[in-house]
Amino acid sequence: MNSFYKKNGPVIATFFLVAIIFWLVFLIVIPQLYMLDLSFRPNLPPLLRGGPDDVYTLTHYKHFLYGSETSKDAYNYVDIGVFFDTIITAVLVTIINLCFCYPIAFYIAKLATPNTARLLVLALVIPFWINELLRSFAIRILFAGEGVINNILLELGLISTAVNFIALDIALYTGLTYAYILLMIFPLYNALETLDTNQLEAAKDLGSSTVRTHWRIVIPHAKAGIASGCTMVFMLTAGALATPVVLSSPNTYWFTQLIYQWFNMNDNWSRGSAYSIILLVVSVTFVLLMMRLFKVTIGEVVR
Amino acid sequence: MRPNLAIQAFLGLYIFIFFLYLFGPLVIMSVTAFNSAEFPAITPWECFSFRWFNEGKIAYDGQRLAGLVTDRPLHEGIVTSLIIAAGVVTLSVPIGMAAAIVLTQVNSRLRTLFYSMSIMPVLFPGVIIGISTVVLWDRIATLGGDGFISELGRNGIFLTILGQTCFISTYCFLIFVARLQRFDTTQEEAALDLGASQSQVFMKILVPYLMPAIGSSAVIAFLASFENYNTTVFSILSEQTLTTVIASKVRLGISPAISALALVIICLTLIGAFFYEISRRSNQRKKDRENKVKMFSEISGNRLVEEQPKFFKIPKSIFVFLLLLILAVLTWQQLIKNNMYGAECVEKAEASKKSNFADQLKLLQQNAESVEATDEGGAETGGSKEYNDIFGDPNLFKNFGGFDTDKKEEGESGATRSNEYNDIFSDPNLFKNFGGFDNKE
Repeated sequence: MNSFYKKNGPVIATFFLVAIIFWLVFLIVIPQLYMLDLSFRPNLPPLLRGGPDDVYTLTHYKHFLYGSETSKDAYNYVDIGVFFDTIITAVLVTIINLCFCYPIAFYIAKLATPNTARLLVLALVIPFWINELLRSFAIRILFAGEGVINNILLELGLISTAVNFIALDIALYTGLTYAYILLMIFPLYNALETLDTNQLEAAKDLGSSTVRTHWRIVIPHAKAGIASGCTMVFMLTAGALATPVVLSSPNTYWFTQLIYQWFNMNDNWSRGSAYSIILLVVSVTFVLLMMRLFKVTIGEVVR
Repeated sequence: MRPNLAIQAFLGLYIFIFFLYLFGPLVIMSVTAFNSAEFPAITPWECFSFRWFNEGKIAYDGQRLAGLVTDRPLHEGIVTSLIIAAGVVTLSVPIGMAAAIVLTQVNSRLRTLFYSMSIMPVLFPGVIIGISTVVLWDRIATLGGDGFISELGRNGIFLTILGQTCFISTYCFLIFVARLQRFDTTQEEAALDLGASQSQVFMKILVPYLMPAIGSSAVIAFLASFENYNTTVFSILSEQTLTTVIASKVRLGISPAISALALVIICLTLIGAFFYEISRRSNQRKKDRENKVKMFSEISGNRLVEEQPKFFKIPKSIFVFLLLLILAVLTWQQLIKNNMYGAECVEKAEASKKSNFADQLKLLQQNAESVEATDEGGAETGGSKEYNDIFGDPNLFKNFGGFDTDKKEEGESGATRSNEYNDIFSDPNLFKNFGGFDNKE
């Protein structure tokens, strides 16, 4: 500590310390810990908090698993269903995005001329700076009952009546894939850019097929990028709120919407916190899984 | 490595489809901003108009659809968003910078822990950051009593600034870390040896070196804050930002005014990207020229003949602009020819819609009188194809089901009904749009 002060001078060192402690402790650690604590407490009106009723309880987690005490079902099928729907959809969206983006990233990083590559990157960034809500809104216009897609399909004679894409959740899935596609491309692109083109040529000269070259050389090289892209897309999709708000059909819920309901409409903050903790645990598990699977460090995941 | 022709063609097609997927929805949304119809769509095209950018309209069913200029909540939301973004930038840029500089000074074991903690917020869902901020500060406000702290803890703008700073600082941190990796520490040592104080070293060497990173992290922080929804929606409490206004608009019913707003944002983004590209290119050119001058001064021989730079080179992008211009002119002519532009067209469309709506209502009333079921009957007979998505909604007719209540007072049910539709009937403008429908009876 002394050497830290000596190195930076008293004024600057104090500024550094205050800024970092404010951030790490007051903005990151304490809020999360308090939320964890709240999730184990009953939902009480403010006056009763700290009183004799304010004891640790598992009631909110039990509610997630078994439902309310008055319901007849053995498990809370609704909430668990929403939870698994969200997770499975997020995984699918991640896989689809990876498959979609790999050729594009490879093209921009290795095949395109530098000028084209730069223009393409710029073109990729532009839609990303437009609000997520507005992008979802664009998808909604596209998939509306009298929207462009329905009209094209009707015109081609593929369908006889308009399809309700929103009720079928097709609009939601498309919107989610659309929303975070950039966060898959960029890590992949960054990873692939560092690949030495000579390796690809050597592989070709030695008679390797294109598929084999990709499987044995390009993908192993890009593994940090793949891990990073998959993690980001999964996290953002599972934690998305804007896109489901705009695009989900009235009878489909996203897990974050469930949290929102407990929190804002039912005013049950501790249950909202408990559900948030569940989401957080899943997210952290996914990150650890990706790190283990691809053998990368957390620093390589977030770049 | 050049792939063969078939693969190349396939790749080209793939990239074309990919960019179509990326830009198609945005283009279509932009076009719908100019359609005067209440529902954002390209077909059926009603009239070309700027009404969604200006005053909006009062729809034939009495619903008020605000345009961009007249939309008060939207303006207030933008102001709130700007305040929050300014707060986030002033907090997160110094935090990110401090953390990145300290990261270079701590020993390797602490370093891993510190780095992991710093990037954690990016891996948290935004929803959770918002919630944790709110619950913590609500508790602080409760404990703090009635004074300043309690007010602060329940101030949505303050909470949103804190919540957003939590993860936006990480973005700034990462930008600074990347820049500091290329920093030459011997500069600092030299300055110290020459008798500079630590503060002087910081202000005269480190900060100027970090200036580009400060600039770009401020821009990133501003944009990230401005368009954040997931965290804001929880931490904003009773206030409204731009994103929450948009979200509530979208949820209440989709209006072309949102398309107009999106188009404005798209244009701003495009202009920003354009100027960025221009400045980048001019920088590149300057650097190239300097390099060339250096090369010539180093090689004093005359074996290298300087290439005469062409004074005017037509950039390829001009063809794209020309193409767009031609397309725009053609569409415009088509619009004029079909009389789909101007106040006349809008008026005509309004009139036809009004009469159509009156017909619908008449039909509905007849149905209500002949059949007991008031709600569903109308929905089946009514609804010409054009207005499918508006009239196809069975809930719509519910709102007008109570129209004849003043004639056949049904006691209790009538009372509850009028109560239920209070907010519709209390609007004084409502009856104006029906063209005196009641008077005829």
